[in-house]
Amino acid sequence: MTELHSDHDHAHAPEDAGLGYYDIMETAVRELLISKGYFSADEIRRQLEVLDSRSPALGARVVAKAWTDPEFRRRLLADGRKACEEEFAISFYDDTQLIVLENTEKVHNLIVCTLCSCYPRPVLGLPPDWYKLKPYRARAVSNPRSVLAEFGTHLPEDVEVRVHDSTAMVRYLVLPRRPEGTESYTEDALATLVTRDTMIGVIPARLDGSQP
Amino acid sequence: MNPNFQTPPAAIVYASGERPVFKPGDAIRIRERKPVGHYRVPTYLRGKKGVVERVIEPAAVDNEEEGFGRNAGSRRHYYRLALPMTEIWPDYVGSPNDGLHVEVFETWIERI
Amino acid sequence: MSDTRQLVERLPTDMGGQPADAIQRIEHAMAPWEKRCHALADVLDFHKIINTEEKRCGVEALGTEMVNKLSYYERWIVAFVNILFRKEILTPTELALKMQEVETARRQHESEPPRTHV
Repeated sequence: MTELHSDHDHAHAPEDAGLGYYDIMETAVRELLISKGYFSADEIRRQLEVLDSRSPALGARVVAKAWTDPEFRRRLLADGRKACEEEFAISFYDDTQLIVLENTEKVHNLIVCTLCSCYPRPVLGLPPDWYKLKPYRARAVSNPRSVLAEFGTHLPEDVEVRVHDSTAMVRYLVLPRRPEGTESYTEDALATLVTRDTMIGVIPARLDGSQP
Repeated sequence: MNPNFQTPPAAIVYASGERPVFKPGDAIRIRERKPVGHYRVPTYLRGKKGVVERVIEPAAVDNEEEGFGRNAGSRRHYYRLALPMTEIWPDYVGSPNDGLHVEVFETWIERI
Repeated sequence: MSDTRQLVERLPTDMGGQPADAIQRIEHAMAPWEKRCHALADVLDFHKIINTEEKRCGVEALGTEMVNKLSYYERWIVAFVNILFRKEILTPTELALKMQEVETARRQHESEPPRTHV
């Protein structure tokens, strides 16, 4: 069932009314394929729910648990997909693998997809626009420190900035370092410090929680 | 296992492409190939040298062939490769410690 | 000496190391059709009617101008259409007719007075 806008009593852009050219194209393609039996409307509805259910909150729980449970952390670093499936029942599509990248004193990880927009969707949901656009994709691999600086992140020279370009079926999730002064925090409280951008690797996790 | 089995089995021979060609630690170079049309090895990495960081299991379909509709068969291995940034970019601005990791299909890698 | 060689050798989506501007922290809310387009992509991939790599290949094949001028999901839907035509799953005529039908229905719906109860 298409989401048609109704009950508008004011003027609005054609796109809002579902009259955008590509909007119409998407609907026409979907309805034709359903009428020809390639898939059902239910599958599309269900997949919309799947997309809604994946968000950085999932990744935050994974990270918070890794911060508090050394055995889970070990399993997560050994096989990210398996650990997420077993511990949190987070499913992954296809043969996708998840490699969790541990930030340490010596290594700071950053993820990018220069060719398109590969992203750890099962645990983070959909990527932000800036991740998919040229400035990030072009510069993250050639000048990562300048990219990090744009996000307010500065690292000493003795720390390796390690960039991961996703080109195949491996997806990456950065395991940020646990902020100092959080020893008494519960797992739930810790999860609130873990934002999407900390798991992409453009910023570290911070106590002040002022990042998006 | 049949206890009456007398002759030991012959040594296992693996099919072409079945076993990984490279192993962690191998010094490699990403090939210089310039495909017209679809490819999954970015231009900036062609001809660059690095080390195999890990073999990705299991063997999988070549994603370049997948782009043309191949959904199964002809599986080979992907490898995570570690390359220093200074190897990739002659004028790299940053720490000499900085690095890049990328997964590359076996047919794009040569031993050095 | 052909300087169009670069256009052929480097895919328009192959951006690693290219000169680029400062990152703008754009985060637009997805339009409903864009989310439906993403769901469509996932369902097409699940059935391997169009797998994810075919989609990427299809986006690349749009060429530099369209890759630069169409937005993210606009590129996807046009790529899907091209692939569906090539696979003879849809024809250009039937899609054109269906698009007209969808548009007409929506215009009609738009011109109806708003209802207070649905």
